[in-house]
Amino acid sequence: MDKDLEKLSALYDGELSYKEIQEGLDKMREDQGLKETFHKFGLISELVQRQTKQNTSKLLFFKDYLIKVNPVMSNLFTAAATVLITLIILYQFDDDRFQVDRESSLQLSSAISSDEAKSQLLDADQNIMEHMSSLQLSSAISSDEAKSQLLDADQNIMEHMIHIMQSNASHSSQQISKNWIPVGFSVNPTNPNQYSNGRNNLFFHLENKQLGIKKVKYFKANNNWIYLIPLQDGKLLTAYGDIPPSVANPMIQSIYQRN
Amino acid sequence: MGVSKGDEVFVNEIKAGNAAAFEAMVLKYQPKLMSSLIGYTKSRDQAEELCQKTFIRVWQKIDSFRGDSALFTWIFRIGINLAKNDFASSFSKRSKITDSLDQNEHDVPEYLSPETELIAMESEDKIMKFIQTLDADTKTAFTLREIDGRTYDEIAEILKCPIGTVRSRIFRARQLILEFINQENIING
Repeated sequence: MDKDLEKLSALYDGELSYKEIQEGLDKMREDQGLKETFHKFGLISELVQRQTKQNTSKLLFFKDYLIKVNPVMSNLFTAAATVLITLIILYQFDDDRFQVDRESSLQLSSAISSDEAKSQLLDADQNIMEHMSSLQLSSAISSDEAKSQLLDADQNIMEHMIHIMQSNASHSSQQISKNWIPVGFSVNPTNPNQYSNGRNNLFFHLENKQLGIKKVKYFKANNNWIYLIPLQDGKLLTAYGDIPPSVANPMIQSIYQRN
Repeated sequence: MGVSKGDEVFVNEIKAGNAAAFEAMVLKYQPKLMSSLIGYTKSRDQAEELCQKTFIRVWQKIDSFRGDSALFTWIFRIGINLAKNDFASSFSKRSKITDSLDQNEHDVPEYLSPETELIAMESEDKIMKFIQTLDADTKTAFTLREIDGRTYDEIAEILKCPIGTVRSRIFRARQLILEFINQENIING
């Protein structure tokens, strides 16, 4: 039955040979259930494509509105949207990284420069959008200086994220202190930057510059969280994984106490 | 963008009088057309009526489809023209333009009731969130197909996997979404 439905799915996408299409149409003619499933494929397509367009339109409309209201805010929004795109891509690729044995076949570098990057945006989690918008805008209204700092910081963060994700090499040379690792987590023998408690995964990346980040920032990308932790020695620790703030908070406190 | 490979086969079959191909085309594009027409007319009843009329017109006029645009673009254009005609006629108080119910008429499947079968707005978020929970391979293949409009060949090249894997991943995504929809009792009727 699943094979029939798989063929129906391919028929829906127009990906069958002429002969198979004929067979599929004949089967559909006789089977009301197949017709209904085929129609539901259409409902799903419509929903996904419309939601995607709406999310894109919201971003574009909001930007147009900001240009009229305040050009500085507009720039800020552009930066936020850029970070958002990066985060979405990051989220996409994080998913692959969390599956240790899964080949990460979409490369971030090509994704950023290609049309796929746009499509990743379409896959945006509404939560990220709302979170990013509120984060950027609420911070923005405080002062002009804050705005420009935030803008710089956002661009730096974006570059930082890209750098991390483009770097597929093992970072065994990084000095990840054992003291930073949350209780219950242990290192993955095949990836020295991955720590797991069997249920959640956590990755670390250490950078020598702090990118204008003065205090801990964090972002949520669906089920994954990204924590940017400036260390006292001038380095920036990025921790990312499916670790909610309730777990990350004690870890961050511990890092500051022992750093 | 011209007509896709899959739609081209449907179109040729419909031109040859294959009613099953026409029905499949209606099943495929009816949700999208309904949604677009609701957006255009702001009236579900009017959209429903226009949707039926549009597909009748498609059946009648399919020979004039040259494949210069995507099939849905052509269908949607017919729908919009019919909506404009309706709008104009309602203003001019002229008699309403009706489609001739001649021998070429083909019934649009009756069991399709857009009113009951469109996904409720409040359920859309649930489905979108569910899609986010699909595993990365499945979600990527599905997204490249549904949002990017990529062919299976292109997706296989991007994901560096066999075309059969792409086919099964896309099907798996749809199957899981359908199971979720059924579990949540999202589509009535």
